[in-house]
Amino acid sequence: MIAEARTSEPPLVVEHVAKSYDLDGQIVPVIADLSLTLKAGEIISIVGPSGCGKTTLLNTLCGLLAPDSGYIRWHGREVFGQPQNVGYMLQKDLLLPWRTALGNTMLGLEIRGTAAAEAEHRSRAMLEQLGLHGFADHYPSTLSGGMRQRVALARTLVNEPDVLLLDEPFASLDFQSKLLIENDTVGLVRQGKRSLLLITHDIEEAISLADRVIVLSKRPTRIKSVYDIELGSGRTDLMEVRENPDFSHYVRSIWADLDVVRQ
Amino acid sequence: MTAEIEAPVSPTTKSPVETAPLFAKRRWDRLRAAIAILATQLVILVAFLSFWQHATSGNTTFAFMFGSPSAIAGFLGQMARDGSLFRDTYVTGLETLLGFFVGNLFGTLIGLSLWYSRFVSRVVEPFIIALGSIPIIALAPIIIIWFGTGLVSKVAMSTLSVVIVALVTSYKGAVGVDPDQINLMRTLGASKFQIFRKLVVPASLTDIFAGLKLTVGFALIGAIVGEFMSSSEGLGHAIFKAGSLYIIPKVFAALVVTIALALLLTFIVGKIERLLMPWRRQI
Repeated sequence: MIAEARTSEPPLVVEHVAKSYDLDGQIVPVIADLSLTLKAGEIISIVGPSGCGKTTLLNTLCGLLAPDSGYIRWHGREVFGQPQNVGYMLQKDLLLPWRTALGNTMLGLEIRGTAAAEAEHRSRAMLEQLGLHGFADHYPSTLSGGMRQRVALARTLVNEPDVLLLDEPFASLDFQSKLLIENDTVGLVRQGKRSLLLITHDIEEAISLADRVIVLSKRPTRIKSVYDIELGSGRTDLMEVRENPDFSHYVRSIWADLDVVRQ
Repeated sequence: MTAEIEAPVSPTTKSPVETAPLFAKRRWDRLRAAIAILATQLVILVAFLSFWQHATSGNTTFAFMFGSPSAIAGFLGQMARDGSLFRDTYVTGLETLLGFFVGNLFGTLIGLSLWYSRFVSRVVEPFIIALGSIPIIALAPIIIIWFGTGLVSKVAMSTLSVVIVALVTSYKGAVGVDPDQINLMRTLGASKFQIFRKLVVPASLTDIFAGLKLTVGFALIGAIVGEFMSSSEGLGHAIFKAGSLYIIPKVFAALVVTIALALLLTFIVGKIERLLMPWRRQI
């Protein structure tokens, strides 16, 4: 259940990955050359200017797209197709409207053939941990945006992935819901000694959650800079982190790196 | 300043005493709206029938050409008394139901399974469009040569009227599934069959039911056209026979029964839809 127990290799190594699209014969390079290592138990945020290929990167990592060149190693091995024990979550909650919160949470376990009773037990426990006690039998259409995203998080975490790949998962939520769900996510990731790769455009979110922030350049994407965030790794209160004087220092530096041109 | 992180929300615990009058009022508002709609519909129907009755009474030509509500009611009573009403309704209803069932079953199965292979679906697409553009009436003489003048030929006509529509609507539902949702299933380790069964089929239900509602009418038209061509019983037979004898009120009487049959079948499909898709009720 705990990542380090499996192997001494880092859970995810990306080496010189490049990816382009072919648009009607025109080759559009999206990722130029990208390397990174996600260590066991580490939280990395990736920020970049809009349209810099963050989502392409994520889809390449989880095997939905094939890189043109370079290697992606999960626990030291190259994987064909989808890597195992990787949880994937997007801005869209992608809940199935015909399944209740519980049914949606159970989806991954059901696909893996976990016994129904066990799957239900674990899913109920996970929903409870995420503060959804009493909502297990609700259909998604009756839940608020924040609650739906919590169900999506439960669906991801109940499979006990050792790596989570999150693509702007909280971007559509209001500030309060966002802060609460961020807190819970970090708490559960740290508690389960899982690793997290978070793609976001929200600089403050990136800094407050992560051990490391990677800033990407414009397309074709390379790594522009890397920040080790030293705000105490035991942080559990993401509001408090924002009060730290170093926090605004990080925000300013990353903002400068993003090189946003005023329109 | 320390951050105040509230506990996540839990189900509302407002006492029923507070909310009960509010909900009662909303229910009453909804009921009132429904009654107003029904009353307006009744007024329109009654006005139309009175005008019809009034315009055709005292004018034998008009009465002959257009029938009249009272004459139609008379024929309905007569058909009920001699039993032909029930017999014809039963025959046409059975043909329609069988055609509806067989056509939708095969159409939906083929439509959904085309999702499985992009290659196959692209190969068959022009053939399906070609078949779909054939007017079914044009096939009726051949169908009668192949299947005879009994039940089977009407069921075949009815099935053919339904199958392409069912195929196209279910295929549209299957290929319309959000690709992100398919990616999510893949990252959860789902096989193609699991994606089909757990995602594509339930996601297509909305389109499938839209097709079912549409094809109730098509199945009935197919059965009646089949009866027009050659038959000894059924509502289409009754309409055809009364028409050839210039008994126009009887044509209308049989039409009224046909409409009632169509409404009943549509109502049943709607009920089944609500039963099979409970998540759409809770909004």
